Order: sequence, then C-alpha cells, then structure tokens
Amino acid sequence: MSDVVDIRPGAILKNNLWSNNPIFMQILGICSALAVTNLLTNTAIMTLGVTLVTGFSSLTVSLLKKLIPRKVRMIVQTLIIAFYVIIVDLVLKAFLPEISKNLGPYVGLIITNCIIMGRAEAFAQSNGPIVSFWDGITSGLGYMGVLLVMAVFRELLGFGTLFGYQIMPAAFVPWTIMVMPPSAFFLLGLIIWAGKTMMGGEKA
Amino acid sequence: MNREGTIYTIVFVFIVSFAFVLLLSLTNQATIEQVELNREIVRQGAILSAMGFDAEGSEEIQQKYDSVAADPDAGLYVATINGQVVYGTLFAGPGLWGTIEGVLAVTADLGEIVGVEIVSDNETPGLGGRINESWFKDQFRGERVADDGITVTQTAGDGDPDPTNSLVDGVTGATRTSDSMEAIVNRELQRLRSVEIQQILRSLESQGGNA
Repeated sequence: MSDVVDIRPGAILKNNLWSNNPIFMQILGICSALAVTNLLTNTAIMTLGVTLVTGFSSLTVSLLKKLIPRKVRMIVQTLIIAFYVIIVDLVLKAFLPEISKNLGPYVGLIITNCIIMGRAEAFAQSNGPIVSFWDGITSGLGYMGVLLVMAVFRELLGFGTLFGYQIMPAAFVPWTIMVMPPSAFFLLGLIIWAGKTMMGGEKA
Repeated sequence: MNREGTIYTIVFVFIVSFAFVLLLSLTNQATIEQVELNREIVRQGAILSAMGFDAEGSEEIQQKYDSVAADPDAGLYVATINGQVVYGTLFAGPGLWGTIEGVLAVTADLGEIVGVEIVSDNETPGLGGRINESWFKDQFRGERVADDGITVTQTAGDGDPDPTNSLVDGVTGATRTSDSMEAIVNRELQRLRSVEIQQILRSLESQGGNA
C-alpha cells in the first residue's frame, strides 16, 4: 500500500479494482470467495449485496465519524454494517425469494466480510462522505470482479452451465471438485498468482 | 462536551442503536407481509407439485390449492387427481446441516409415492442441496413402496429410472443428505399408516377434495 492515499475518484477506482484489489492484493473477504462462487447467479447477487453494503456503510461511517467516540468506533461500525446487511436480506426475501433461498445463510455472513470493515476503518474514518461512498462501491466492484471470474470457471467446469444455461456439450463430465470448496482454494491461488505476475510486469 | 467521556459514549451508543433498530423494524414491518406471502406460495406450490398438479405462477397456485382438502395443523392434504385419491403430508426432519422441510405425496393405498418436493433445506449448495433438482425428485414419481419403505443409495448411473424397485439414486458427494432423505421419507410413510392419521385422511377425503 502506498503511504499517501490518493483520493481522486479515478485513482480510487484503479486502486480498488486493480492495483490494491481487496481479494488478490489485500487478501480480504476470502471466506465468501470460497463459499459462494459455484453458481454465477448467486455470486452476482451476493457480490452486488456486498458492493452496496460496503458503499453505504462507508458513507454512513464517514457521516458519523465526528460523533463516534474512538473507543466504541469498531462496535458502531459493526452496527452500521449489520444494519445494511439485514436490509439487503429483507429485500431479497421479499422480492427475490428464489435467490434468497439459494444464498441461505451467506447473506447474513456479509457482516463478517473484512473488506467492509477494512474500508470503513482505513478510508471512511478519515475521508468525506461522497468519496468514501465511491471508495466503498469500487472496493465492492473489485471484489465482485474476482468472484465472478472464479464463478465462471467453477460453474462451467462443475455443472457445465453458465447462469444456469447449458454451455458444455452433453458428453461433458462435470468436475465435482469444482463444486466443492477445495477448488476455490486452487482457483484463488491461481488468480492471485496471475494478478501479482501481471502487476509485477507493470511496475518493471 | 467531552467526546471521549463515559457519559457521552453511553448516550451515543444508546441513540445510535435505537435509531438503527427502529429503522430495521420499520423495514421489517414493510416487507413482512410480502415475505409471508412468498413463503406461503412456495409451500402451496410444493404441495401441489408433489401431488402431481401442474401449477405455475402465484395465481394459478393459489387457485388450484383451493381444490385441495387440507388439515394444516396435522400437515395433511387430500386431493383427487384424474379419479385417483392422493394423500399429501408436510414433513420436517434432520438433514446434514439443518432441518429439511418438504412434502411427500402418496396414493391412497400407500403403495406408491406420487411425488416429493423440498420446501426448505440448509444442505451444502451444489452437493446435498441438489435434492432440490428435478433429476433427484423425479425419481420418486410412481416409485413403489416396499414393506420397509424406500432406499436412497448410490447407484452406478445418474438417477434410477426403475419405479418398481423402491430404490432412489442418492446424490454423489452427499451421502449423509441422501441417508437423511431416506430416513425422513420412511418415517413419514410410517406416520401415514398410523390409525389417527388414517382417520384424519378419511375425513378429509369425505369432505371432497375434487380437482
């Protein structure tokens, strides 16, 4: 991480999507990267939820930062994050019951996603509300990008489908390992390797 | 005022918690009806589907559900489809991670399974969760019930097409979930044979339940 944080919107975008990507540079939010990446539809909705929660939590933390006593800072941040996660959960239950059923307990577990807390603590605590919201949204998008790539591989090889549509020929034998969590470890390792290699090339 | 003082901290946490919880309760109140309705439609749809009705969309489900004679307290349902009396029963039993809830429908002589539907489960997505997929559920359609019920076990193929052998192919990589399904279905078949349940079913049958 660079010492001086550049808070121009373009710089934040590039930083969060690529050069300081939450997944393959900061290695945050790995639990859900392993758990919800075997079906693209679920991954898309889940990461959209994380993106919105990160954005709005950062916005709220930034708005309240002058009022929050330092010693209860983390507790209040957790409260704010939990608030938005429950809202997302309720909206999914009411308007997308099918997806809510598929995601099951994982929506509630967005609360434990370290990216959200990380952005609240590292950025929103010391920056203005609008730029914090943008930082949260772009961090969520950086997370979404990597998870969607993983989900494409896992769903295609594990089920032979993409977004539930059959892609692979009927003779294709699904790789059961791709459906199970271990495959996410392998894929994540490969993605981190690829990302770091490409970045090393850029710097040189 | 001292922002780091104890009094300020306590008052601040109290106000913040109160405000957020209030907003949450309002959101919950605003969506609860829709959530309950969704849940009810999923349940009714599963009952219809297990009993062999064709119903899609919430309106058609609610309309066809009216033709089923129901005792919701006992979780029992009776309908006549194509001249055949079908019994449905809501079940709930332990799976690998949590409770599996669903519907089992059988013919009136309890000799054949009409269908099985899952209403809710917490099984591993992609593994045990595949009990929700049609290749698994369709194996129960028309399956003969042996004296000791049915068997869910791993077979060589993908799905067991033979309805006479009282055998259903389990889910690869989800043996515990498959075992749970076997136990749940057999326990439910046992329950349907009991005298009290038979009495309730008879009285529901006499109430009509014409589709």
